[in-house]
Amino acid sequence: MLSSTEQIAFVLLVLVCGGVAFQGFRRIFVIVSQGKPSYRTDEFLSRLIKALIEVGLQKPLFKSRPIVSLFHAFIFFGFSFYLLVNFNDLLEAYVSGWTTIDSSHPVALGFNLFSDLFSILVLIGIIYFLIRRFIGKPRVFEFNRNVKLQTKVVGGGIRRDSLIVGIFIILHVGSRWLGTAFHLAERETTEWSLPTASLVAPLFFGWSGLETGIHVTWWLAMGLIVFFLPYFPRSKHIHIFLAPLNLAFTNREAKGKLLDPVDGSNPGAATLDELPWKQVFDSYACIMCTRCHEVCPAHQSGTPLSPSALEINKRYFINQHVSGLAKGSTKLDLLKDAISEDAVWSCTTCMACVEVCPVGNEPMQDILQIRRKLVFDARMPDELSDALRSLDEQGNSFGESSRKRTRWTRELNFEIKDASKESVEYLWFVGDFASFNQNCVENTRRVAEVLNEAGVDFGILMKEEKSAGNDARRVGEEGLFDALAEENIKTLENCDFQHILTTDPHTYNTLLNEYPSKGGVYSVKHYSTLLLELILSGRIKIIKPLKIKGTYHDPCYLGRYNGIFDAPREVMQHCGVELLEMPRNRINSFCCGAGGGQVWLKEHEEMKQRPSENRIEEALLLNVEYFTVACPKDMTMYSDAVKTSGNEEKMVVRDLIDYVFEAMDLPEDSRKSIE
Amino acid sequence: MQMELDKVHMKVAVLLKQVPDLAEELEVDESGKALDTEYIKFRLNEYDEHALEEAVCLKEAGQATEIVAFALDGEEVDKALFSAMAKGADKAVKLTGPEVEGSRQAAALFAETLGMDYDLIMTGVQSVDDRDGMMGPMLSSMLKVPCVSVVTRVEGKESSVTVHKEYFGGLMAAFDVQLPAVLGIQAARQTPRYAPVSKVRQIQQSAIIEEKSASGVSGSATSKVTTMAPPTKTGGAKILGSVDELMELLKKKGVA
Repeated sequence: MLSSTEQIAFVLLVLVCGGVAFQGFRRIFVIVSQGKPSYRTDEFLSRLIKALIEVGLQKPLFKSRPIVSLFHAFIFFGFSFYLLVNFNDLLEAYVSGWTTIDSSHPVALGFNLFSDLFSILVLIGIIYFLIRRFIGKPRVFEFNRNVKLQTKVVGGGIRRDSLIVGIFIILHVGSRWLGTAFHLAERETTEWSLPTASLVAPLFFGWSGLETGIHVTWWLAMGLIVFFLPYFPRSKHIHIFLAPLNLAFTNREAKGKLLDPVDGSNPGAATLDELPWKQVFDSYACIMCTRCHEVCPAHQSGTPLSPSALEINKRYFINQHVSGLAKGSTKLDLLKDAISEDAVWSCTTCMACVEVCPVGNEPMQDILQIRRKLVFDARMPDELSDALRSLDEQGNSFGESSRKRTRWTRELNFEIKDASKESVEYLWFVGDFASFNQNCVENTRRVAEVLNEAGVDFGILMKEEKSAGNDARRVGEEGLFDALAEENIKTLENCDFQHILTTDPHTYNTLLNEYPSKGGVYSVKHYSTLLLELILSGRIKIIKPLKIKGTYHDPCYLGRYNGIFDAPREVMQHCGVELLEMPRNRINSFCCGAGGGQVWLKEHEEMKQRPSENRIEEALLLNVEYFTVACPKDMTMYSDAVKTSGNEEKMVVRDLIDYVFEAMDLPEDSRKSIE
Repeated sequence: MQMELDKVHMKVAVLLKQVPDLAEELEVDESGKALDTEYIKFRLNEYDEHALEEAVCLKEAGQATEIVAFALDGEEVDKALFSAMAKGADKAVKLTGPEVEGSRQAAALFAETLGMDYDLIMTGVQSVDDRDGMMGPMLSSMLKVPCVSVVTRVEGKESSVTVHKEYFGGLMAAFDVQLPAVLGIQAARQTPRYAPVSKVRQIQQSAIIEEKSASGVSGSATSKVTTMAPPTKTGGAKILGSVDELMELLKKKGVA
């Protein structure tokens, strides 16, 4: 028990530090609530319970870095248990005679055992983290040199923060553990329920300083935690409170559906308070682990985009200007203080950063908001405005006449139904790339031939089809997306069909997830799903299994965005292709680098290696001959990548349809020759 | 000095025209004298887009006070005018009246409508569908004001503008032009900006396009197209697959 002076001193400390900390937390609330609506608080209780269960199981962490996550789990479970330990220690300080050490009650014994073991686990965990950061210095913590960073970040702010909190944890937990040993030594005994404390207790048997030692260790454990309260709102370690909350604010809509602008006359964000509040909150939840830029194709290829830096910069700016921001007298200019303009244009919207984040951050959403603003102010690279103009004028990004959309059909030796005139079961929304790109049209014809052979009742919109607008929306051209969606929906209203079919995951995503809120609700199928159905129902007959080995690349907008992982793999297996997986597969797939409008943009001049080439290198290690894609953009990206990386001899890029076409043993030379 | 700058009051007219989109497969109609325009899309003449951009840049630099976009009536011209306003034109005027044939008539229409109300008249140096490059010079002669063509940059002063003109061989000259004047713009100082669709749609709802009719009688003879035809295809290049193929070809041609 503490002396009465100590007891009063502790209460005063709690009042002072608690008061200062409260002010810090209040400012967080003020700054976050300045943000625009986010729609993330419906059914809040169920959100919170789900988040707490996930945190309790440490699930979000184990999405990557399993070893680090294990050590984090040590600290997490230890600290969670320490809530009980701290409560017990308060009782010990204020209730005369309260102690668990002498008790033989099973609850007390269990409590002792857990507090003893968890103390050691926390210490092991934190020492591991300190060694990792300060001695191991993993490269994943480094930012590309061209990434915009707040000066204090460059000055080593994150390392200092980590060191302070590391020392705090060692002192807090270490003192508590040592205090227990002192208690044992005072009694000149050891306890089986306190195995590690009992190991050191005998060292202090008979030491005259034990009484003082017990008081000092109590203050170092309990006083320190109170003393540190005001530090939390400034430190990244606020994540222990705000990360679970941020996970509760997670997006419950379809992953591939973007939020409509709150105010159409002023879309997007130029300043922090113009972002949805969830994006402001993200910066507080961020623990600066850089897992997001580790998986980011833009950062990995050497461009100035680090999703991690974006969150860190926001947070550092907030810390430095907290009172001004709370009062509204200071603004965080996103492009000046958080991310550079060319970094904004480097994002492929692959969503890997969002998916991997253990605290539920969504840096990609910030980028999309900034793009909306930039496009609304007509600030964008020239090649992007060319593509957008073409989309606006001709309905495709290729600068081609809309009349040439059906040119790929001319070589077919049968007529495709005009779905705008005849009723069809499957309305095939071909999409820009599959219609116009020279690397893709041959596969598009094969899709038509396979469907025709399988007796599928299908048709296309001919020149009435316009780009579905997925990428227009991802570069931030909200108005153009609306216009394209409206025109397509108007066209589709006059068509009689049961399902929409598409080979393009980007088209699939927006038709499925974004058209409904614009008034177009359809049953949308990706061709991989339909092909599998046709194989399973026997309408596609596999006559000649291929007996080859191949790997499969999950397109971002098919896999990560829409959860279609198995259908394409099963189609491959049915066709006799032995599937070997790349290390980054399924939800962890690595983007080809074309999404989010990148396909229209010039490569960043500091790009060291294209993401697509990096991916081909990954596939080469498997010793397979075939690299399988299920997305027209992938076809063109990887066909180029095998050439530019000099691997044309070693790796052949094939579309899923090639396997089906060949396994069905369809004739290759049935085409009309067109001059 | 500050006082003088404040006095700058330059009213700019930008003249626009819709032309066939060159992305289209262009075909000659049955008369054999004109493009078949039934199925093709129209878009703003590229050079006019530069004229508009340079005008907007002038305004942003504080060297022009008002921009009015004028366009001849035609396919999808409303969209072009709303876009012009989205980019920074203050007003848009559509010229209705007789169907325009040739640059002389266009010049007459514009001369009649614009009169001497504008300090600076900017238009594309030429349009992709006639390549005359004569509209500007003719308009200036009708209005009896100076004209400079193939202009790549304009800087406004109090009662004159300095313009950069490009000559063949990359030679540049700077002219001081008394206002009012007509300028044929070859290229703006920067790539013409994109008009975000949501902005265009907002303008569509809030702004109106003024319509003005003009008789456009040019009073003198004009040229007429006698025939129009696509270029005839002559041979072409072929990428050979191998050296053997090349050798064979050379042998066949009797070269080797």
